[in-house]
Amino acid sequence: MKIQVNEQALTLPNSMNIEQLLSHLEKPLIGSAVAVNMQVISRSEWTQYNINEGDNISLFQAIAGG
Amino acid sequence: MLFEEMKQQDQLIIGDKSFTSRLFTGTGKFNDQQTMVDALKASKSELVTMALKRVDMADRDDDILAPLIKNGMNLLPNTSGARNAKEAVFAAELAREALQTNWVKLEIHPDPKYLLPDPIETLKAAEMLANKGFIVLPYVHADPVLCKHLESAGCAAVMPLGAPIGSNKGIKTAEFLDIIIEQATIPVVVDAGLGSPSHAALAMEMGADAVLVNTAIAVAGNPVAMSEAFAKAVQAGRQAYLAGLGGQSTQAVASSPLTAFLEASL
Repeated sequence: MKIQVNEQALTLPNSMNIEQLLSHLEKPLIGSAVAVNMQVISRSEWTQYNINEGDNISLFQAIAGG
Repeated sequence: MLFEEMKQQDQLIIGDKSFTSRLFTGTGKFNDQQTMVDALKASKSELVTMALKRVDMADRDDDILAPLIKNGMNLLPNTSGARNAKEAVFAAELAREALQTNWVKLEIHPDPKYLLPDPIETLKAAEMLANKGFIVLPYVHADPVLCKHLESAGCAAVMPLGAPIGSNKGIKTAEFLDIIIEQATIPVVVDAGLGSPSHAALAMEMGADAVLVNTAIAVAGNPVAMSEAFAKAVQAGRQAYLAGLGGQSTQAVASSPLTAFLEASL
């Protein structure tokens, strides 16, 4: 399945939900936020929300700031 | 009420939280994570700001969150990087998921040179975010009229600036902060530009409810010691405000009796 993650083309080996995608990308669950096609996906939906072919995923992470 | 009792009962309430410390701190610009954690602990701050960034797929990110949560700090994500209301609302919604808090420091500064907040977009975003149930603390210019509009929009506090972000110039907006503090029915947190503990103390003496300091602590020679100095200054300034400062006068007012007893003995 071909998707875009933060403007990078990516091919997933199988279908997966958002939580599985973060694990697949070796990104932490804590402090992360995810938008699919510019819609913010609530953390409580991460295990139910399945990624679709052609989805544009945006990943964000909490960092230090003022 | 005795002054000691008054001091002990002096709590700051914003939204659904109450704070003993009136020094809020930022987590940016520290040389390393351990220094940041040590400095924030020394500040006794109960509210610390954070930012959000788009993940660089090649990077491994430091886990900045765990030590902050472990030390019982409340997190205040900002919308830094947003250039308009729409981007700020998107950033706030992302931050809510990332940090599991509906608190947000709303900041919209389209110009990277001075980082001055856009009042029109900030008011628009504040209305939208308050309607969506966020606890909104907007970073704004020291504009009394705007601050009243933000209050009406449902903000939990206002955060007017003392001077541009990171400039360490102190309170350049004093006359307008006075008006904001006089008129506000929500807490006023002086944010940005406070470069030394005396600046923070002055803000508190003026009647600000709290201050937010980041750069002045993070870039100090010894951030942990500076953090403590800020904490003491904020406490001293608050106590002075509660104690009631003496008024100013253009003429001298003698502190000793000016009787003519020396003349009489000659």
